[in-house]
Amino acid sequence: MGQVHSRLTISPTPTKLAWMIHLRMLTTVHGTEAASDLHFCMSEQDSFFGFGQSADISIVLDGQDSRKTAEIKTEDGKKERHFLYYDGETVSGKVNIALKKAGSKLEHQGIKIEFIGQIELYYDRGNHHEFTSLVKELARPGELSQSTSYPFEFLQVEKPYESYTGANVRLRYFLRVTIVKRLTDTVKEQDIVVHTLSQYPDMNNSIKMEVGIEDCLHIEFEYNKSKYHLKDVIVGKIYFLLVRIKIKHMEIQIIKRESTGTGPNTYNENETIAKYEIMDGAPVRGESIPIRLFLSGYELTPTMRDINKKFSVRYYLNLVLVDEEERRYFKQQEITVFRKAEKHRKAMASDGPKTHRSMQHHTNRAEPPPSKSEPTNEQVEDKSDNASEEEQ
Amino acid sequence: MSKIRLKQGTALVLEQFPDDFEEYLYDGDTTSHGVADDLKITAWFVSLPSTPQLSPQEEQEKLLEEGINIVKNQSFQMKRCLDKGKLMDGLKHASTMLGELRTSLLSPKSYYELYMFISDELRHLELYLVDEFQKGRKVADLYELVQYAGNIVPRLYLLITVGVVYIKSNELSRKDILKDLVEMCRGVQHPLRGLFLRNYLLTCTKNVLPDCEEEMAKGNDYEGGTVMDSIDFILLNFSEMNKLWVRMQHQGHTRDRTKREQERRELRILVGTNLVRLSQLECIDIEKYKKVVLPGVLEQVVSCRDPIAQEYLMECIIQVFPDDFHLQTLNSFLRACAELHESVNVKNIIIALVDRLAQFAQNEEGSGIPPEIQLFDIFSQQVAQVIQNRPDMPPDDIVSLQVALINLALKCYPDKTEYVDKVLETTEEIFNRLNLDHLEHGSAVSKELIRLMKIPVDSYNNILRVLQLNHFGPLFEYFDYQSRKTMSSYIILNALENETSIPSQDEVDSILSIVSVLVTDQSDQPEDGDDPEDFAEEQGIMGRFVHLLQAEDPNQQYMILNTARKHFGAGGDKRIKFTLPPIVFEAYKLAMRYRDSQDEDENWEKKCQKIFQFCHQTIGALIKAEMAEVPLRLFLQGALTAGQIEFENHETVAYEFMSQAFSLYEDEISDSKAQLAAITLIIGTLEQMSCFGDENHEPLRTQCALAASKLLKKPDQCRGVSTCSHLFWSGKSTAQEGELRDGKRASDCLKKGVKVANQCMDSSVQVQLFVELLNHYIYYYERGNDQVTIQVLNQLITKIKDTLPSLEANEETEQINKHFQNTLEHLQVQRDSTDREGPSYDGLTI
Repeated sequence: MGQVHSRLTISPTPTKLAWMIHLRMLTTVHGTEAASDLHFCMSEQDSFFGFGQSADISIVLDGQDSRKTAEIKTEDGKKERHFLYYDGETVSGKVNIALKKAGSKLEHQGIKIEFIGQIELYYDRGNHHEFTSLVKELARPGELSQSTSYPFEFLQVEKPYESYTGANVRLRYFLRVTIVKRLTDTVKEQDIVVHTLSQYPDMNNSIKMEVGIEDCLHIEFEYNKSKYHLKDVIVGKIYFLLVRIKIKHMEIQIIKRESTGTGPNTYNENETIAKYEIMDGAPVRGESIPIRLFLSGYELTPTMRDINKKFSVRYYLNLVLVDEEERRYFKQQEITVFRKAEKHRKAMASDGPKTHRSMQHHTNRAEPPPSKSEPTNEQVEDKSDNASEEEQ
Repeated sequence: MSKIRLKQGTALVLEQFPDDFEEYLYDGDTTSHGVADDLKITAWFVSLPSTPQLSPQEEQEKLLEEGINIVKNQSFQMKRCLDKGKLMDGLKHASTMLGELRTSLLSPKSYYELYMFISDELRHLELYLVDEFQKGRKVADLYELVQYAGNIVPRLYLLITVGVVYIKSNELSRKDILKDLVEMCRGVQHPLRGLFLRNYLLTCTKNVLPDCEEEMAKGNDYEGGTVMDSIDFILLNFSEMNKLWVRMQHQGHTRDRTKREQERRELRILVGTNLVRLSQLECIDIEKYKKVVLPGVLEQVVSCRDPIAQEYLMECIIQVFPDDFHLQTLNSFLRACAELHESVNVKNIIIALVDRLAQFAQNEEGSGIPPEIQLFDIFSQQVAQVIQNRPDMPPDDIVSLQVALINLALKCYPDKTEYVDKVLETTEEIFNRLNLDHLEHGSAVSKELIRLMKIPVDSYNNILRVLQLNHFGPLFEYFDYQSRKTMSSYIILNALENETSIPSQDEVDSILSIVSVLVTDQSDQPEDGDDPEDFAEEQGIMGRFVHLLQAEDPNQQYMILNTARKHFGAGGDKRIKFTLPPIVFEAYKLAMRYRDSQDEDENWEKKCQKIFQFCHQTIGALIKAEMAEVPLRLFLQGALTAGQIEFENHETVAYEFMSQAFSLYEDEISDSKAQLAAITLIIGTLEQMSCFGDENHEPLRTQCALAASKLLKKPDQCRGVSTCSHLFWSGKSTAQEGELRDGKRASDCLKKGVKVANQCMDSSVQVQLFVELLNHYIYYYERGNDQVTIQVLNQLITKIKDTLPSLEANEETEQINKHFQNTLEHLQVQRDSTDREGPSYDGLTI
């Protein structure tokens, strides 16, 4: 497991505020009180000032060595790794407060740890919507004379949504330790990543539809499922019922639509995640064109619908036919993307048979949901293939 | 499942984006159009970039060169990455390289070159991967990885390459991979690109197709697949390729049709390779071929309704699969032939099959055609079906099919004449139905029919066997005059070349009825008649043919001659000249046969008499046709023959024949040369005969002498009488033993000759006559005629010697001189010879 990069994050607003306060005090307030405040204020740069007591806060999560991590994008597009939690999982550990100067005391108004889940809309930076906020008090107001460790535990904490960083919105979970002071608190935040796991859906019908333009183009398309997990394979086919135009090629696109806000203030952000040519040339009536698109190579998130009434992330399969005159004929169809339980996914990822099984998919019209007892062996027989049935 | 019925009003949205279409193009079309349950169209028009003026050829070369340069560059990079072990980068370059195959600008030929170049390069990749796999360095999910390529053409080439590597390293997944590859290739619907892609699939999988029996695989959970999987694989690939190939026909402008068809023909081998591959699977036995392979192939061939494809593929089937497979599947194959597109030349296909099977029947020692397969019946029925299905089939093609059938019958069932006859019967029925007759000579159908009818003739080389075909003769009715003649001559010449004797009257009757165009006048013959030389040649053949009419039994032979006489007798004046004389000669020969076997037949004398009557009458027919010279000679020959056969009345018959000859001579022959020739013949004949008593011989010889002396020209007279002299010397009569030896009369004749010679004005002719006379004299002198003395010889020699030098020097004189010198030489030898018998030449002056 890679080294987890834990960093002290001061959320933008409090930091600015702190500086503002700090500057005013320097110019208008005199006396020890103020000076000590100044010290504390400068706790980040204590090496510079070189006096006063300050503390390093670190959070050590239980089972950290064996816990999985997951990558998530930051707002500026970089990728970070954090510890991975699931819904209902207890988040527990220790908060270590290390005093930097031996023999000096740290006075505080109390120490607490919070577990926060919040949604940040980029166009509304001032407001963070916390949908989860749990607090545990670690210490009553008093003095710390030595480095101290506080265990904490958020028991079976509810984490209803998946961590997400999008174009206009971000959903994040983090732990925040605060040493409350009279003027400026010492704060330490640590992000975690939450993945929401879905069971294999009971109903997972194929998407089958006949569409067209009268007397010009009739097609029937079929995607084997309506709900796909992130490492899934979209298998399907396009059946040409009537072709009176000269088609040049056909592609399938995965479009991600992020909607934020409500009513007239809704912002939609579309992103084409994948462009995948599935047919070259002009088919004639009766042709059936296979589709097989592996999803694991693309950056997908689970579908999110109306998350806390703030935002949605939806995925669409867009079937595009282009004719020789460059006219584009398209049909969008929403699919649901979900994250499958890890155990499940792990089994799927085992090599060798994977190609084999995933290949079989496209011959199956509708894949029945696998039984939960044996989720990895989706032995699906092609009903048209009598020979293989007989053999078994 | 939601299903939208269009007719119930899912609106079509056509959106035009003339302004910011580019942005739209790059952003995808998802910006603001919402989720729709119907298709939307967006359209704009892009002006084509202008290209520099190049000829199409140059353009192609340029494009190809550009393509190959990119491929070279990319493949170099690919190999470098592979050498460094950077597989993913290598694959990226491979994909870029393969992107060149997405072009629509290259002609099939150029595309082929590019394809070959690239597939060579892909082999490096394959070898690298196989190598890596063997070293145990498996790349997990490689099969999935290559499928992330955004463009389908490069993606599928890579998928095939990787798929084959998987198969090579682990056969267990072979069956599924093959199935997957051939299915995924459906994504390329562009004919040219699809054909080459699938060809690549076929090439790469060449050596890895499962080829084992199902029984072996059963129970073992053998996922490597069986031959049945290979069959499914190839059949699917085949039908997809064929569909693409056929589709080419319907693309582009109609004015480019010829070019397009040419291009299609260039590509046909790609489609045919599927069939070749099928034929290479060893586990395909007759059963599988019959139940799975052939029905699959035929289904596709028939249903594609494309003449070029059907014609090529049917021939392909014939060529690539073994003969014993064909034998077992004739019905289905031929049924498919009947269902082909009307412009397909089914004829060629069936003929190709027949030729193969016929060859098979002959090559295969011992085995031949299995008896349970009624090869001929099957073909016969199916061909009839084909003809029935195609009312527009040209008659010559129909006949060509019959030609194929007849070849089949002859080669596979050489003993079954009835098969051949059946074909002829069918042909006749078809002609009847189509209301065809008087097929114009030189027309296609006429040529084909001639070809058809020549086959049994050539094959049997026995006209009698041909005659056993009941429907051979009637087919002559459908020819015009010229063709009947061609065909008739062909039959007769065949008989002549093979010296086929015709031993019965019935057969003679049939043949002559069949070739009646050569025997009698025809209602449809041209008014201006035939070229005389051709006519003479043709009738000459008939004359020769008469000699083939030979029965073993003389009575039978007589009947034959009578029949022939009847047929030829109706041939008209121009023909009988050629045909009746051989009959007469054959009749004389028959008389001789009776004489030779007189012990076996007590009625032989009467029969001989009858023969001579027959001859007399036949010759009479010739005379009626205003001929003289031939009848005269026939009479003479008859007299000679009769003289040699001592049947009752033979002297009377001989005399009659002689006298007929004489009267012809007197009444009909007026040309002096002909007269001389005739009298010489008469004299010669009489001289040879010995059957006459003196009361007959005397008037005959006197008549000869008289006739000779009455010849118009002096030289003729001279020669006539000198020849006649021999009648008195070596002629024979029954009155005495041996020759007459009347030296006096012989000498008188010669004297008359000398006298006449003296009267000749032309000294050259005169000398010539003297030399001839001298020879006659020498003859008599040497034979001991006492009327001829040395003096007479000397006189003649002197006379010749006197006159000879005065002759003008020319070739004729030269000849005369030579003749004379030879004569003198003879005398000299005789004179100087010591041990010689006979009279002496003492006193001879040379």
